[in-house]
Amino acid sequence: MGEVPTRSIVRAGLLGGAGAIYVALVGLYTKFADLELVGEQITLGRVLIVAPAFVAAFAVTRPRVVAGVRRSVELRSGLAVGAVSALVGGAFFSVAIWFADWFGVDRIREVFVAVTEPLIDFLTFDKGVPAGLPILIGLCVVGGVVGGFARTAPVAIRRPATAGLLAVILFGLLQRIVPIVFVELGFEADWLYARGSGLTFLGGLVVFVIAAGANAAWNRDEGRSRERVRKSMQQAPAARLGLLVAILAILAILPLLLGTVISEVLGQVMIYVLLGLGLNIVVGYAGLLDLGYVAFFAFGAYTTGVLTGAFLNTTTGAATPALSADLNFFVAVWIVALLAAGVGLLIGAPVLRLRGDYLAIVTLGLGEIVSVITASKWAQPLIGGPQGMRGVTKAEVFGLNFQDNPQHFYYLALAFVLLAAFVSWRLSRSRIGRAWNAMREDEQVADAMGISTTKFKLLAFALGGAIGSLGGALFAVSIGSLTPASFEITVSITALAVVIIGGLGSIPGVVVGALVLLGLPGLLREFEEYRALIYGGALVAIMILRPQGLIPNVRRSRELAEEEVTQDAWATKAGAESEAVAAVLPGGSLGVEKEDLE
Amino acid sequence: MATATDDQVRAAELGWLERLPWRRLILILLSVVILAVVAIGAYKTLTLPADERYSTTTWKNFIILGLAQGAIIGLIALGYTLVYGILRMINFAHGEVFMFGAFGAFFFSDAWEQSGFLNSNPVLSLALLLIIAMLTSMCVAVLLERIAYRPLRNAPRLVPLITAIGASLFLANTARGFFGSQSRGFGVPEALDGTWTIFGVEVDRIQVVVLVTVIVAVTVLSLFVAKTKTGKSMRAVAADSEIASLMGIRVDRVIVTTFAIGGLLAGVAAVLFSITFESVSFTMGFRVGIAAFTAAVLGGIGSISGAALGGVMLGLLQSVGPALILTGYGIPSSFQLKDAFTFLVLVLVLIFRPGGLLGSSEAEKV
Repeated sequence: MGEVPTRSIVRAGLLGGAGAIYVALVGLYTKFADLELVGEQITLGRVLIVAPAFVAAFAVTRPRVVAGVRRSVELRSGLAVGAVSALVGGAFFSVAIWFADWFGVDRIREVFVAVTEPLIDFLTFDKGVPAGLPILIGLCVVGGVVGGFARTAPVAIRRPATAGLLAVILFGLLQRIVPIVFVELGFEADWLYARGSGLTFLGGLVVFVIAAGANAAWNRDEGRSRERVRKSMQQAPAARLGLLVAILAILAILPLLLGTVISEVLGQVMIYVLLGLGLNIVVGYAGLLDLGYVAFFAFGAYTTGVLTGAFLNTTTGAATPALSADLNFFVAVWIVALLAAGVGLLIGAPVLRLRGDYLAIVTLGLGEIVSVITASKWAQPLIGGPQGMRGVTKAEVFGLNFQDNPQHFYYLALAFVLLAAFVSWRLSRSRIGRAWNAMREDEQVADAMGISTTKFKLLAFALGGAIGSLGGALFAVSIGSLTPASFEITVSITALAVVIIGGLGSIPGVVVGALVLLGLPGLLREFEEYRALIYGGALVAIMILRPQGLIPNVRRSRELAEEEVTQDAWATKAGAESEAVAAVLPGGSLGVEKEDLE
Repeated sequence: MATATDDQVRAAELGWLERLPWRRLILILLSVVILAVVAIGAYKTLTLPADERYSTTTWKNFIILGLAQGAIIGLIALGYTLVYGILRMINFAHGEVFMFGAFGAFFFSDAWEQSGFLNSNPVLSLALLLIIAMLTSMCVAVLLERIAYRPLRNAPRLVPLITAIGASLFLANTARGFFGSQSRGFGVPEALDGTWTIFGVEVDRIQVVVLVTVIVAVTVLSLFVAKTKTGKSMRAVAADSEIASLMGIRVDRVIVTTFAIGGLLAGVAAVLFSITFESVSFTMGFRVGIAAFTAAVLGGIGSISGAALGGVMLGLLQSVGPALILTGYGIPSSFQLKDAFTFLVLVLVLIFRPGGLLGSSEAEKV
C-alpha cells in the first residue's frame, strides 16, 4: 500500500480492535444494542461496532510528513489501507469474542460484568460463534473503508458525505425531540421517523441528502459563498441584529414546540449554561482554573431555600431553619447573588498568590469542604444536613408556576441566561475583559503594565460566584427540595467540561457545550449511566485534539497562534490535528482562525 | 521578584506596622484564629467530664490507625510527588491507578478465598496479591501516560491538568463499566485477624503488616532513586529535563519509568488499603487520591521523604484531629467531617506554606 507503512496499518487495526473490546467490556454494546437510529437494523450498538474501525482507518490514512513534505494518501490506497486495518482489527475483536465464548461467558463475568450471553449474541448477530464472526469482520471492513474514504476522498465529496453521515446519526439520536417538533408544527412525521424509534430509511436518506447538500452549498466555490455570508454578517449590523432576533424568537417558542418532558431537559441545560457562563468568566476570561464551582451552586441553592421560607426535613416532619426569611424569590435572588459575590471574594482573597494547578487544587478542596459540610449533621439546624430541605418557593408570578411547569421554568431560566450572557459579552469587550486577558496570558507582565491583578482576580471570583449562585437559585426553584447529593464534585466537573468542550472564553461555546453534554444525555436516558465516562473521555480528547474547544473564542484562538516557541510548536501540532476533527464536524472547518486575520 | 526590592525600600522608611502588607496581616490574623480554635477545641475535649472523655486506649488506637492509614496515603503520595517532580504536573488520575490495583488484587483474593488458598498460605497469597496489584497499577499508569499525557508534553500547564481530571473521571467510570457499580468485600486471610502485642501495646496485625510493608517499600524506593543509574537520571530530569536530554538521558523513557514506579507504589498501597478497609469500589480512588495529594503538598511536593512524612502527618490529623478538636465544640458525629478536615489542611498549607514542610518555598512559581 506504498504510502502507509504496513506496521502502522497493523498497529492501527490492533488499536481499533482493542477499542472495540474496550467498548464491549465497558458495557456500551449491551446498553445501546436496541437503540435504533435508522430502520430496525442500524442501531447505535451496531454503529459502535463500526466506529473503532472507522476511527482507526481515519487515523492511519492521515497525511504524513515524508522528508519535510506533507503527503496526503491517495483515495485508492486510502480505501485499501482502511479495509486492511479494519480487517486486522475485526479479526482481533473476533478472536477475543471467540475466546470469551470458549472460556465461558459466566467465568469472565465474574470479573467483567458486562460480558453476558446477550452481548455475544449481539456481536455475532444471533448466529453464534463462529458463524456470526465473518459478518462482524465484514461490518468492520465497511467501517474501515468508510474511514479511509472520509480522509482521502476529494474534499468536495468527503465533506458533504461526512456531514450527511453525522447528521443522520445526530437526527437518529434526536428521535425523541424532532418528531414532536414536527407534530407540533402540524406536519406528518411518520415518513421521517418510525413510531417510537429511529429514522425510517426514507427519513435517513432525506436527512443525509439535505445535510450533504447544505454542506456542499456552504463550501461551494472553495468556500467563497461561505466567506460572503460571513463578511456580510460582519459588516452589516442589520444582518447581525436579524440573526440575533431570529435566535431569540426560536428560543422563545422552543418549549411550546417541545412539550413538557423535553422542556424539563432544556431547563437543566439552561442551568448548566448559567453555570458555564459563570465559570467561563473565572476560567475562560481570567484564566483561574476553579474546580470548586459547586460551592457557589450549593450556596445559591441553599441560600435561596433559606431566604424564601423553605423548611428542613427532619425525622419528625419539618422544622424551620435556624436562620430563615420569607422573601419573594425575585427579591431573594439578588440578595443571593450579592452574598455569593461576597463568598467569591472570601474564597478568592486567600488564594490570590496561587497560580495554575495549585489554585485548581485549593478550589477543589474548598468545593469539597462545602460538599462535606452540606452533608454533615453539623449543618442540620441551618440547612438540613443529610436530610436536606424542602418547600423552596415556586416563585409564582403572573400566574406562572416555575416549579411544576417545566415550560414556565424554561422562560425563567432563559431570562437569567440572557442576562448572564449579556453581562459576560459586555465584560469580555470592556477594559475589564482586556485586563483579564492580559492577566491570563502573563500575570507578571500584566502587573508590570499597571493592571491590578489582585483587583481583577477578585472581581472574576466575585462575578463568577454571583452567576454560579444564580444557577443554584434556579436549580432550587426548579426542583423544590434540596439534598446534599445534588451538590457534589460532579457539578464542578460538569460545568468545567461544558466550558472547556465548548471553547474557553466563548459564550456560544458554553451554550453548545451544555447542549451536547446535558441535552443529549437528557434526551436519551440510556446515556445516563455513561455520562461521566463520556465527559471524561471528551475532556481528554478535546485537550489533545482541539484544545480551543468546539466553538473557539475568536480572540483566544488568535492568541493561541501567537504563543511562545514551545507553545507554538504544540499549538501548530494541535492545529494540524484539529483539521482532522474539523473535517468530521458538520459544516467542515469552523474557520474561525481565518477570520481572525482580518 | 521585582516587588521584593520595593518592599525593602519601603521597609526602611516605615515602621513595622506599616511594613505589613494587608494580605499578610489577614493571613497572620487567620493563623491566630485557627490556632486558637484548635487549642480551645483540644482543651475542651481533654477536659470533658470523665464519662464523655475518650479513654487512653482509644487515643492509642486513633494514633495507630492514623499511622497505618497515613503510611498508605504516603505511598500514594509518592506517586504524585515523583510525577510532579519530573513533569511539574498533578497527575490527578493517580487515585484511579490505585483503584485499578485494588480491583486487580480483589479478583484474585476473591477466587483464592473460595478455593481456600488465601487462608492456607496467607503470606504467599499476600505477596502474590501485592505483585498482581503492582503490575495492574503499573500497566494503567503507563497506559495513562502514553495515551493521555505524552501528546501534551509541551502544552500550557493547565492543559495537562484538565486532561488529568478527564482521565480520572474516565478511568473511574471505566472501572464502573468493567466491574460493576456496587462495592465488593475484600477477603482478608484469617491469619491477619486479631492483634499482636508489641512493646506492651496491642496492635491489629493488619496495621503491623501495613507499616512494615510501607517501610520496606519506601526504603527500596529511596535506595533506587539514590543509588541506581535510572534513579540518577530521574533526578537529572527532575532538575532540568532539557539539559538532561542534552546529556544523553532519554527523557521520555525516564518519564515512563517514573509513572511505572508511581504505579507500583500505588499497587502496594491498594492491597494495604483493601485489607485495612475490606472493600473495593470504583469510587475509592478519588477521595484517597485527594488525600494523598494533600499529603504530598503537606510534605513538600517533589520531595520523597516529604511525601512519606506528609502521609503520616495527614493520617494522624485525620484520625486524631476531628476527635481532638471538634468533639470539644460538641459537634455531632465529627468523623463525618474527616474529609473536610483533609481539605482544610490542604488549603491552609497552600496558603501559608506552599512549599510544604520539607520543600523549598516557591510560592511565586506554583
